Amino acid sequence: MLAFSFLDWFWLIIYIIFMVSSGVLFYNLGKRSISDFFLAGRGLPWWLPASSVYATHSATDTPIWISGVIYEHGIRGIWYTFFSAWCAISAFASTRIFRRSLAYTQAEWQTLRFSGLGAELLRGWIAGWQVFMNMFVLGWVGIAMGKVCHYLFGWPNWIGLILFSSICAIYVLAAGYWGVVMADFQQGIIAFSVILIVSFWGIAAAGGPHAIITKITSLGEAWRLNPFAFTGVSSGDFPLVWFFTMLVIAIIGGFGMGTNIDWYPEAQRIQSARTVRDASYSIFAGSALITVRNSLWAVAILAFFSLFPNIKAVSQYEMAWYRLGFEFLPAGLIGFFFASIVAIHISTVSTHLNLGASYATRDLYHHYLKPKASDKELIWVGRIATLILLLGSFIYGSMMQEITKWLIFALWIMTAGIWLPSILQVVWWRFNSWGYLSSWIANLGFSWLIVWVLPEFHIIPVLPDYLQFWIMMALGALIYIPTTFLTPPENMDRLVKYYVMSRPLGWWKPVRKEAERRGLLKAADLKEKEA
Amino acid sequence: MALFKKKWTPEEADAWTKEDYITFILSPLIYLCIAVGLVLALLLISYGWIILGIGIILLIIMIKIIDPKLKAISEDYEVKQKKYLDDLEKISRWEE
Repeated sequence: MLAFSFLDWFWLIIYIIFMVSSGVLFYNLGKRSISDFFLAGRGLPWWLPASSVYATHSATDTPIWISGVIYEHGIRGIWYTFFSAWCAISAFASTRIFRRSLAYTQAEWQTLRFSGLGAELLRGWIAGWQVFMNMFVLGWVGIAMGKVCHYLFGWPNWIGLILFSSICAIYVLAAGYWGVVMADFQQGIIAFSVILIVSFWGIAAAGGPHAIITKITSLGEAWRLNPFAFTGVSSGDFPLVWFFTMLVIAIIGGFGMGTNIDWYPEAQRIQSARTVRDASYSIFAGSALITVRNSLWAVAILAFFSLFPNIKAVSQYEMAWYRLGFEFLPAGLIGFFFASIVAIHISTVSTHLNLGASYATRDLYHHYLKPKASDKELIWVGRIATLILLLGSFIYGSMMQEITKWLIFALWIMTAGIWLPSILQVVWWRFNSWGYLSSWIANLGFSWLIVWVLPEFHIIPVLPDYLQFWIMMALGALIYIPTTFLTPPENMDRLVKYYVMSRPLGWWKPVRKEAERRGLLKAADLKEKEA
Repeated sequence: MALFKKKWTPEEADAWTKEDYITFILSPLIYLCIAVGLVLALLLISYGWIILGIGIILLIIMIKIIDPKLKAISEDYEVKQKKYLDDLEKISRWEE
């Protein structure tokens, strides 16, 4: 249990007032239009969405999760966090294409890329899925905050779950995405500063880098200092094939849209950037900062390991980074540290409240229920949706006990079977809405079967995660490839319009030829002659 | 003739060219160098600093290669954006 001094309370209260008022200040901008409420008017310089990318993906459960993998695996554990590298290619490929589409959400993009009933079904499906998923994410980061507060103050979990998300909702309801992104900027700075301070403090507490290395080596655990300490090609708990699979998922996934669960919040940041260039740099820089943060955390957790090498319970060593802060920072700074944890928490909460509301408002209410709705009405619907998401997250949060298990399954269910179709929809003109829709449905079935049901009934053994990925990818392909070829291609008018607007990369030759024939693009041979 | 183009017409910039493909290679390498280099550098392991340094050099090279193209794409696209936004609203309101 932690006892706060006057200075600690001072830091916390000042910070909360500062954060809420800085968000509410943008009330007038947020209510100008639906574009302002959900995309800050599409006018942000790259560093604002970049800081939001960073702040959003630094949640209260992130240090818990990273502490767990680094304590267990040593430096090689950073590869578990390397999934964020999908932004490396995405920043210059799918980000560029998506920004040019101008779609508010990924669900809306489906009706620009595809046409007819299939496109509408996809839009409704992805919008519904994202409303659910954002509520789910809010629940799991909320309960992580509940656990942190329980660890610190002995509060029941529900207090931490409800209190800070509700405070955050004040500025999200008032100013929409303007409030989110402006608060994210200051929260990002505070969070990064504290991550730096606590990590270096932890390293110093362990006696510095040399002492950490000496201690770990003397324990006979020198392998923990090697980022490439594989346990074999396919054997052990860190095989080479897992590493290879992770690299493929993370790096090649950048060509697609929706290959990673984080694509959906990033899509909002991409559209809020003022130009294509700003969108690209925001995604690249935001994720680069996440990579830096992960490395800082990794060294701090190694320091923690050198201090406490014999912790066996996962729930104990998962709190490593928090323990470094609360056990080693001097009195007075503890409140600042806790304020930064609140910053880390609410930057994620604010994003998912506004993002989930954007799908509920723009895709479900506006597109399907009331297409003629005015901007004023849509902003109010956005606020009501925000409130419903907040209340729903409390219910989800109270149902989740083991954060890591839920997190890994949610990531898996989102990536495995639809990973390749999410790339194909971007790079291959012939891939149609029925193919993509069937891959989603197949993935939901296969992921439950392969990960939960069949192992439970001992029909198949519990498979390593990398094998689950490849199996689900192959099984999914057996469904969506035939579906694609057995159904007609998308309407050529829609494809041409999409191509001229977005200029996708990959296999689009028939569409390009048609665009040239219609005089919408200069013919390639004509350009060559001019050159 | 320069190895990489610095002046782009809007039509040239719209096409996917070698500058993009090189960026696709450099960008993940930069992330790899940051991830590994920074951890090792913070532990004061000398080759960590070298890897981190390589990452920073690659970052500068990548920006030099891709930035002129991104600028050209952005300038051209912002002109067309207004019409595209009108079309987007028509689709959302079932007017198209």
